[in-house]
Amino acid sequence: MLRFTLKRLIDGAITLAALVTLTFFVMRLAPGGPFSKSRKVSAEVLAIIEKKYHLDEPIPQQFARYVWGLLHLDFGPSTRFRDYDVGALLASGLPYSLTIGFWAVVVATLIGVSLGIAGALRRNSATDYLAGIVGVVGIAIPIFVIGPLFQVIFALKLGWLPVGGWNDGLRSLILPVLVLSLPNIAYISRITRTSMIEVMRENYVRTARAKGLGAARTIRSHALKGALLPVIAYLGPATAAIITGSVLIETIFAVPGIGRHFVDAALNRDYPLVMGVTVVYGGLLIVFNIGTDLMRGYLDPRVRNGG
Amino acid sequence: MPKLFGTALCGLVLAASLAFAAPVLADDILDRGVGSEWSSLDPHVNFDAAAGWIMMDAYEGLVTFGPTGDIRPGAAESWDASADGKTYTFHLRDGLKWSNGDPLTAQDYLAGFLRTLNPATATEKGYYFYSVIRVKGAKDLAEGTTTDPATLGITAPDARTIVVEMLSPAPHILDIMGAFQAPPLHGPSFAANGAAGFIDPAKVVSNGAYVIKEVVPQSHVYLEANPNYWDAANVKIKKVKYHVTEDVSTELKRYRAGEIDITYDIPLNQTEALLAEIPAEVYLYGSTQVDYYSFNLTKEPFKNIDLRRALSLAIDRETLENKIVKAGAPPVMNYAGGFDPSYDGPSIAEAALTQAERETLAQELYAKAGYGPDNPLQISIATTVAEDVTRRAQGVALMWKKVLGVEATVNASERKAWLDLFYTADWDVFGDNLVGDFAGAETYLAYMRPSAEPGYNWVKPEYDAAMDVAANIPDKPNRNKALAAAEKILLDDYIFAPLSHAPTRHLIKPNVKGFGKSVAGYDNSQFLSFE
Repeated sequence: MLRFTLKRLIDGAITLAALVTLTFFVMRLAPGGPFSKSRKVSAEVLAIIEKKYHLDEPIPQQFARYVWGLLHLDFGPSTRFRDYDVGALLASGLPYSLTIGFWAVVVATLIGVSLGIAGALRRNSATDYLAGIVGVVGIAIPIFVIGPLFQVIFALKLGWLPVGGWNDGLRSLILPVLVLSLPNIAYISRITRTSMIEVMRENYVRTARAKGLGAARTIRSHALKGALLPVIAYLGPATAAIITGSVLIETIFAVPGIGRHFVDAALNRDYPLVMGVTVVYGGLLIVFNIGTDLMRGYLDPRVRNGG
Repeated sequence: MPKLFGTALCGLVLAASLAFAAPVLADDILDRGVGSEWSSLDPHVNFDAAAGWIMMDAYEGLVTFGPTGDIRPGAAESWDASADGKTYTFHLRDGLKWSNGDPLTAQDYLAGFLRTLNPATATEKGYYFYSVIRVKGAKDLAEGTTTDPATLGITAPDARTIVVEMLSPAPHILDIMGAFQAPPLHGPSFAANGAAGFIDPAKVVSNGAYVIKEVVPQSHVYLEANPNYWDAANVKIKKVKYHVTEDVSTELKRYRAGEIDITYDIPLNQTEALLAEIPAEVYLYGSTQVDYYSFNLTKEPFKNIDLRRALSLAIDRETLENKIVKAGAPPVMNYAGGFDPSYDGPSIAEAALTQAERETLAQELYAKAGYGPDNPLQISIATTVAEDVTRRAQGVALMWKKVLGVEATVNASERKAWLDLFYTADWDVFGDNLVGDFAGAETYLAYMRPSAEPGYNWVKPEYDAAMDVAANIPDKPNRNKALAAAEKILLDDYIFAPLSHAPTRHLIKPNVKGFGKSVAGYDNSQFLSFE
C-alpha cells in the first residue's frame, strides 16, 4: 500500500510540473499582454510597469523565477488586480468555492445514492421513475439554463432565496449548491442503480440471504460496499470537477470564489493569476484522483495489487 | 403514527419556508453594481471607471462633480487663474480633516501628485499631468529623468494653498482636479502601511464623504458616511455597498429582487422590453466614449480619400444604431462634439444631406476610386467579441455590401488581442473607440494629433498647427472656437468614420433620488437620497 501511495504521489507531482510548464508557455502565445491599453502608454512608463512585473526579462528567466517562487508557495503578483498578490486572491476565493463544492458533493452523494438504491430495490416503481426523471433533467439541462430558471422561481417569484451574492449567510448557499449538485445527483443515482442491481445478483449476496440474513442487513453489510465501488470511482474526479466546474455557477450566482478568475484572468492576460488558478485546480484534480485510487485500493484489494 | 410523522414534516417544511420567505426589506444601504471587480482601490493607481465611483465616494479632490457633472468646489473652496491661464491657485477650505481626524493640508494634495508621478508607483495616471495638462516638470518626474520633487510645477506655499504651474494654458485643468485623477495622500498612513493602507479597511484613511469599512474581493466594498467630512451634514445616505456584478443578466435579476438599487448595466437584449415595462427606471444617456471606424492609412486602398469618404457615407448611422445594434447609442456624424454643451463643433461635410443623397454620393466616389461590381473592394473589420460591437460591424458590412458592393468580413478577437492588433497595422478597418479623459472636446482632438502618435500614421501639419493655436488660448469660449476649426480639418480627411456615442445604461430604483445624467459618469453617492 505504501509503495502504491508513493507511486501515485510521484506521478501526480510529474503531472503538475508538466501542467505548470505547458500553461506558462502556451499562455504567452496568445496575442495581447497584461498591459495592452487602448491608449498608447509612453514607452518609458510602460517599461517601468513591465519591469515591476519582470515582464522585461527573457521568458526562460521569467519561468525560472516563477517556478522558484512556486516552490516557496509564492504565486507572484496579479497584473489585473493590483491590490493583491495571486496567493491572497486564491486564499480569499478558495473557501467560497470549496464550501459550495463540498456541500454540492454531499448533497449529490446523499440524494444520488438514496435514489439509486431505492430505484434498484424497487425497479419500475414510482421512486425509480422519479430517479429517472431527475436523471434526465439533471443531465440534459445545462447549468446556465437551470441556474437562471431557479433564480426566477425561488428568488423572483417565491422570494425565498437571494438571487445571488454572498450577503445572506446560509440562504446564499442554497441555490448554487442545489444547481451544482443536480447533474451529479443524476449521474450518481444512475451509477448506484446499475451497480446495485448487478451486486444484488452476485453470489455472495445470494449466499448472505440464503444463510438467513434479513434484506436490510444484507444490503447494509454486504451489497452496499460492492455497489458503491463505482460511485467512489466516479466521486473522486467528480469532486474535483464539481469544485472546479463551479466557474459558471460562481458567475451566475455572483459567488466570490476563484472559479470566476479562470476565464477573467485569461481574458485579461493576467499571467500569474492564470498560473495560480491552474496550479490550484490541477493540484485539486490530482489530489482527488489519488484519494480515489487509495479509497478504491482500500475497498478492493485488486486495485492496490495492480490487478 | 405515519400520519403524525407526515404532519410534523409538513409543519417543518412550512416553518422552513416561512423562515426563507422573509421579505427583502428596503434597507438603508444603497446597493450599487460595479460590473467586473475593481482593478485597484489605490486611488493613485485605479484606472477603472466603475471603481472610480468607489474612489469618488471615498476621496475628494480639489474640485468635485455634481449629479449632472457640473464642476463644484471640493476640498478647495475657490480657485483663480493667472491672466495667461498657465497658473492656477486653489484655496482649501478651513478645518478640513481626514477620516481619522488628522488635519488635511495642501501638502497632502502635493504628496498625492508626487506619488502619481513617481515611477515606483507604476501607475499610468501620471499622463493626466504631463499630457492632458502640461504641468511644469511632470514629464521628467514620471519618466524618472529626475527624482527631485522641487522640480515639479505644483507647490503648496502654505497649508491651504496649492499652486499649479503649466507650460501652456489649460482651462480643462478643473476637469482633472477631482478625486479620480488627483486624490490627496495621507503621508503617515502611507509611510506605515504602503499600498495596503488603501485596501485594508482597518488602515484606510480617506477624505471623501464615505470611508471604506469592508472589502471582499470578487464580492463587494462597503462604505459608511465619514463623520469628519466637511459637508457630512448633507450626506443623506449613510451606507453604500458596491457589488461586483459581472454577469449582467444576474445583475438584472438582483435588481428585480431588490438586492441592487443602481445597476452597472442593462442586458442588451432586454433594453427594449424594460423601456416598455419600467421606463422611469431605465437610464440611457451619453458617456465619454465615442465609437468610430478607423481606416488603415498605411494600406493602399485607404490612401485614397475618395474611398474613405465613400465608406463613411455609405453607413446609415440611424438604422445601424436604432435598428441593428439597439444598445441605445446615439448616432453621430462628428467626433469631438456632444460631450460638452459649450462646444459647438462641426459635423462631416455631408451631414446636412439625406441618407439617400449620401449613398448616391458614396457610389460615385467608390466608382471614382476605381472599384465596381467587377472589381469589388475586399476588406475586414477588426472588432472585439462584445455583442453590441460585433452587431455594429455586421451591420456596417451589410450596408457596405448593399450600397457599394464591398465585400467586408468581420474579424472579431478578444479585447487584449484586438488592442495589440491595432499597433501591428495588420488590419483594414478598425472598430475603434476612445474614452475621453473628461467630458470636453479637447481630449478627443488632442488624441488625434499626428504629433501625439496615436498610431494612425496620419500626416497633417495643418492639424497640429491648428491644435497648437487652440492650446495657447486661455479662455474657454475662444479655445472652443479654435478647437472647432481643428476638428473641421480632421473630419475633412475622413481618416475615420464617426458612428456613435457609447451610452451609459443603468436601472435605478424609483425611491433613489438625485441621480443626474452625468456624461463624465462620476455619480457620487453623497448627492443621492432615498425617498
